[in-house]
Amino acid sequence: MTQFIQATVYGLLQGGLFALVAVGFSLVWGVMNIVNLAHGAFVLVGAYIAWKLNTAAGIDPFLGMFAAAACLFVGGYVIQRLLINLVVNAPIWMTLLLTFGLELMLVNGLIALFTGDFRSINTSYANDAFSIADIRVPYGRLFGFALAVALTLALVAFMSHTRLGLAIKATGMDRAAARLMGIPARHIYALTFAIAAALAAAAGAILGTIGTFSPADAGRLTLQSFVIAVLGGLGNMWGALAGGVVLGLAEAWGGQYLSGTLVNAIAFGVLVVVLIVRPAGLLGKPYYELRVDG
Amino acid sequence: MTRRHPAVLVLVVALAAAGCGKGQSSDAGSPTGDTLKIGAALSLTGSLAKEGQLTKQGYQLCEEIVNSKGGVSAGGKSYKLAIAYRDDTSEPDTAAQLVDRFNDQAIKLVLGPYGSPSTEAAAAVVEKNGQVMVDSSGADNNIFTKGYRQTFAVLSPATSYAKVMIQALASQAKPKPRTVVFLSADDGFSKTVAKGGAEEAHKQGIKVLATETFPEKSTDVSAAVNKAKSLNPDLVVGAVHLVEGIAIIKQSKELGLKPAGGFAETVAPPTPDFVRTLGASAEGVVGSTQWVPQVTGEDKFFGTAQEYASSFKKRFGSDAEYHSAEAAAACLALVLGTENAGSTEPAKVRDAIARLDSPSFFGPIKFDSTGKNVTKQMSVIQIQDGKPVTVFPTDQQQSALKWPAQ
Repeated sequence: MTQFIQATVYGLLQGGLFALVAVGFSLVWGVMNIVNLAHGAFVLVGAYIAWKLNTAAGIDPFLGMFAAAACLFVGGYVIQRLLINLVVNAPIWMTLLLTFGLELMLVNGLIALFTGDFRSINTSYANDAFSIADIRVPYGRLFGFALAVALTLALVAFMSHTRLGLAIKATGMDRAAARLMGIPARHIYALTFAIAAALAAAAGAILGTIGTFSPADAGRLTLQSFVIAVLGGLGNMWGALAGGVVLGLAEAWGGQYLSGTLVNAIAFGVLVVVLIVRPAGLLGKPYYELRVDG
Repeated sequence: MTRRHPAVLVLVVALAAAGCGKGQSSDAGSPTGDTLKIGAALSLTGSLAKEGQLTKQGYQLCEEIVNSKGGVSAGGKSYKLAIAYRDDTSEPDTAAQLVDRFNDQAIKLVLGPYGSPSTEAAAAVVEKNGQVMVDSSGADNNIFTKGYRQTFAVLSPATSYAKVMIQALASQAKPKPRTVVFLSADDGFSKTVAKGGAEEAHKQGIKVLATETFPEKSTDVSAAVNKAKSLNPDLVVGAVHLVEGIAIIKQSKELGLKPAGGFAETVAPPTPDFVRTLGASAEGVVGSTQWVPQVTGEDKFFGTAQEYASSFKKRFGSDAEYHSAEAAAACLALVLGTENAGSTEPAKVRDAIARLDSPSFFGPIKFDSTGKNVTKQMSVIQIQDGKPVTVFPTDQQQSALKWPAQ
């Protein structure tokens, strides 16, 4: 029983981390219909910024996280405005090609700057844990989970209670109509992309503190975000959290009760089952119906 | 569109530049009568880029030292060594294709790619083409069970990796561990490592409580760690590569897995990244390695292991470690084989390598009928005060084993 609870707690926390990584990816896909293949690279850039701040200036990664997010917010805005805006109306494969190219450049840039070595942001406490009746709860992961929930709540509030959030939502539903209402679509898109990049950077800082990272991880992180976004459903700010938690629990329980080698098969099995039952993902349906393409 | 948006042009140029930067590295020039051209397909990019670069450094050092000492003398002629590198992007299929392309270019002598999967793929092609390959890093025993005659490995086989640590702990750890759990990645190499380790544990009277597996390259090994914790073993042995090795130590700390003795892991602990990423948590972890600078034996090109280490440091500025040493040793075996054959003809070189029996900075090089270097012994290190020190075998020992480790 202890083992089951331990696996559940750990899976839940792991799910929070998954969600943290995927939330920005899901936002951009949901609002702009862009599958950002450079998302994993953004996460890594955030991790490297936090790592550099930690090793060079001794700044705690949980503070460095804000600096990383700020950098990527600006970077994301510029990238969207100058590059991705060019293909936002183009067929999906153009955006795939562009973001894939961006990913290659970022990953190779990171290799050139930091080599392909594995890094980890060392803190005295992130891998420590407290125990409740023999169940271990690691601080770093708990913080990651709390952050994922907090950011999701903030995003939900932002999207439904602020003018800017509503503008983003409206642009996502029907760009032409939104423009007719006086919403500057370009600016809104750039802002959405900037928010997503900032979220990715924050996730990178946390991920780099809890585990290890190297430039080669970019593809894996993007794929993971893709699975979670599809699993959770697009266009709903809760989607990433739901997808992340489901995936985290599936992996934890699968690893505990079936062979550890099957973890990936179980994760994708869950995805297939969810998509059969709910083709728009766990929470995806209500919003996507409203989308008007073009 | 480009007129309106110069950014597109910038992107296209940058993408093209990134594309050009990949792959095609230095070519060895056109073959002349006095050049011995050797092919090496290596993981210069992709997930194994780090190890691929280390392997390349070993090959480069060998090429430079052999050439500085007059080159390869065979049949009264002296050949300049020229190694052509190609990037297999860490994909076994690509490695095999590149080796096949070497054959099309009449390059019959080949140095191994990085890692067991790529080596296994390349070995099949080498066999078909009648090329000769000296393998520097493919340790999986499966490579040597297929009856291949053209592939030789200078390194100890996978079964030795955990076995040598069990031997070291059984003879030196006080108290001797009574129980062990193996945590293994699910690739062929790691599974063979775990199997070899479990057999040795039986032999040494250490009870194997379980072998838990997780996917290769996984950064989350929590399920295996959680299961191991419930078994409360004296010793936890990881049959892993670097990423999984780091994950085991990190997640054991999170989940409170504290074996009474300590942790032992293959591959990961001797690499500088292990201590750098884990900091204090790396302390006391035992690891096995193909080579340490304390290895005895010398050869005419590199001298002793210590001399090899100082040449390496002088050339590359970093400390010599085992990946590059394996690579240099593979190149050495190919050079010595060619010299003994007195010819660069692949069939003759093959036979001479098969008969090779030579000491070297890497330890003894002598192959059994399947192409494995079985005379060489692996070494065991332990992280002490943030550095890997050699603890086993005793003639290489720098410092005594600390046990319990933490």
